[in-house]
This record gives sequence, C-alpha cells and structure tokens, in this order.
Amino acid sequence: MPNLTSQQVKELADNLLRMTNALGNYRYENFDRLSEDENMRIKELHLKQLEDTTQLYTKAAVLVMDDVEISLQNIDSITQETRALYKKLGTVQMVLDRATSILTLATAIIGLNPKEITSSIKSLLAPVV
Amino acid sequence: MRMTLKVLVLGITTILLCTNCVNLKHIGEFSVTSIEGIEQFETVSPGFLKICRQDCQQKHIRKLDIHNTDCDCEENEKADSITRVIYHTTKDYFYGLSDLSNNELTSYKTNDFTQALATGDFGPIQLNESDVKAYSDISTLLLRAFTDSFRRKKIKEYVAQAHDPLLKLLDFLELNLTGNLNGKLEVQKSGLKNFYFDFLKDDKLSDYERTKFAEDYFQRISEIAIQQKELDNYTKILRDIAQGHTILYTNVSRMTDEEVRKELAGYGRQMGNTILSLHRM
Repeated sequence: MPNLTSQQVKELADNLLRMTNALGNYRYENFDRLSEDENMRIKELHLKQLEDTTQLYTKAAVLVMDDVEISLQNIDSITQETRALYKKLGTVQMVLDRATSILTLATAIIGLNPKEITSSIKSLLAPVV
Repeated sequence: MRMTLKVLVLGITTILLCTNCVNLKHIGEFSVTSIEGIEQFETVSPGFLKICRQDCQQKHIRKLDIHNTDCDCEENEKADSITRVIYHTTKDYFYGLSDLSNNELTSYKTNDFTQALATGDFGPIQLNESDVKAYSDISTLLLRAFTDSFRRKKIKEYVAQAHDPLLKLLDFLELNLTGNLNGKLEVQKSGLKNFYFDFLKDDKLSDYERTKFAEDYFQRISEIAIQQKELDNYTKILRDIAQGHTILYTNVSRMTDEEVRKELAGYGRQMGNTILSLHRM
C-alpha cells in the first residue's frame, strides 16, 4: 500500500468520524433497550473511536504521504455501509463486532501499518450475515 | 531654454512616478486587506495544542481524576508549528507585495520563518516535495525583493511566479484549519454528547441536576459552534485572497486595467465584510 497524502488522511478521519457518530447515535436511539453492560461497552467503544479520530486529524495535519486512491474508495464504501448497517443490524453483538473492527482499522491507520489497514478493510468489506 | 528643459524633465518624471503609484495602488490595497484577513488567524484558530489539552482535561473529568493529569500533546504541537509556518509565509508574501506596490520597501524585514525554512528545522514533520517547493519559492521571492534593484518593475513577474505556490499554501492552511482543526472540534462535540447523555438519562439524579447537565452541555456545544463558524469565515477570507490573486495572475500583462481594479476591489470589499463579521462574533 503506497503512502497517504495529508488530504487523504483528513478524509479518512472524516469517514472515521461518520462511522463513530453512527455508533454513538445507535446507543442514543437504543438506550432504553440496551442492558447496562451493553450500554457501557458501546459507550467505551464510541469514546475510543473518538480518541482515534481526533488523533487522526492531528496526523493529517502533520503527515504528508503519497497517493492511494483505491484505499480511499474502499474506505468510502465502508463508511456508507457502516452508516446504513447500524440502522438494520439485528443484534447488539453484531454492533459490538462492527465497532471493534472499526477500532482495529483506526489503530492500523494511526500506526500507518499497511498490512493491518488492508486486512481491516477486507474484514469490514466482507458481507454481514 | 535649459530651465525649460529641466522643468519639462521634472514634470514628466513626476507624472510618470505618480502614474506608477496610482496604477499599483489597487494591488497595494488588496495586499493590505489580504494581510488583515490572513492575520485573523491569530484570533480564530484555537490551535491543535489547546484542543488536545481540553480533550485531555475532559478525559480526567470523565474519570473524576485530578491526580497525574499529564497530557501527551506533542503531535498537536507539531501540527500547530507547521500551520503557523504556512500562515507566516503566506502573510509575509503579502507584506512583500504590499511594500512592492506601495514603494515602501525599507519597512520590510525578513522574519524568523525564512531562517526556519532555510534550516528545515521541523523536527520529524514531513513535507512533500511540492509543499517544500511552495515554501522555498515564496521565501526566495521575498529575498529577491530585497536584492533586486528593479524589484518594483518586476512586480508582475513576482505575482506570476508566486501564484502557484501561494495557492498551494492557502489550500494547505484551509486544510489544516477548516479540515483538521474543525474535525477535532467535531470530535469534541461528539465526545461531550457521549459524556452528558448518560447523566440526562440517569433517573437517580434530580430533575434540577439533569437540567443543569443539559444547560452545561448546550453551553459547551454553542462555544464550539462559534469557533467553527469563525474558522468557516476564515476560509471565506482565504478563498477571496486566492481568487483575488488569480485575477492578478490571469491579467498579469494588464494589471492596471479598470476591470482588474474593479474585480480586485470587489474581493477586497468581500474580505472586509467577512473580517467585520468576525469581529462582531
């Protein structure tokens, strides 16, 4: 995977924020149906995703890397899917799994780990059963 | 006869000088407004470091912990330093352009940024080749403005040479401020909602307490929204500067045409209005 430009890292952060906000909205909208434990777990995952997102915006401001159009397109599709997905996911477990996978992707991007980024993208692009 | 010739030469020289002054006045005015616009940075930008510290403080508030509250904001300091370099470089270009068009070169002095650019002392910050070129092109132009004895005559050439790197720097400034910094403010808003939401849902708290939490939340959100609006207005200024400079660049051979003057004045007025609305916020 080639390097990312500053603009692209910013776009990744924008997408990560959209995914993160979708998770937050899921919790706010389903608060009364979630158990205390589920609520806490999603709240913590949401918080961790927010921390990663703000870190990524800072990275975008200091990092300048090469182009990587395909990965961006992939992230765009992941973002769109994720936002739609939270609306139709049947079980809380699936929401938790999805949120954890996004965290893995965020960690890989922050660490600029091309292998991990690719594998996280693959796992997120896999159809949800 | 000799006296008449002297008067004639003096007269022609005066006319030429005055014509030249008047001809470039609109460029000088545009530069001065651009400088005023760019300098709004000092008031509109909260800075990456400040946001990092606020986030860190919020993290400790969430944990109800006031012991060992150190924050790692090193990366954010780097983000601020690079943004400031871009800001100063852009601003100083317009100081140079203003001085060139106003024929007041003696007042112009190089700033620390030139030294910083020359030494490349950015620590681990990486700039890509074209961005480094943008910085060096701008600073080279400024240095040439001091050494070139025909600098005033070469103003058109400077505008033409500076155009591409200047647009790049303006884009970069916009990216860092209304892209990345604004993004961090968006995250802050989401983080506050994550924090306050549970208090409002907690029926063990009194209505009064929950109302106070809601008020606190809306107060903080509106403070952030004002900062975002300021950044948004700042972007408008940066775009007006870019468009005004593009007018100069595309009309480089007829910079003194009435149409160019009018268009430039239009962007100047637009910037003036945005600056005014920033002051009113």
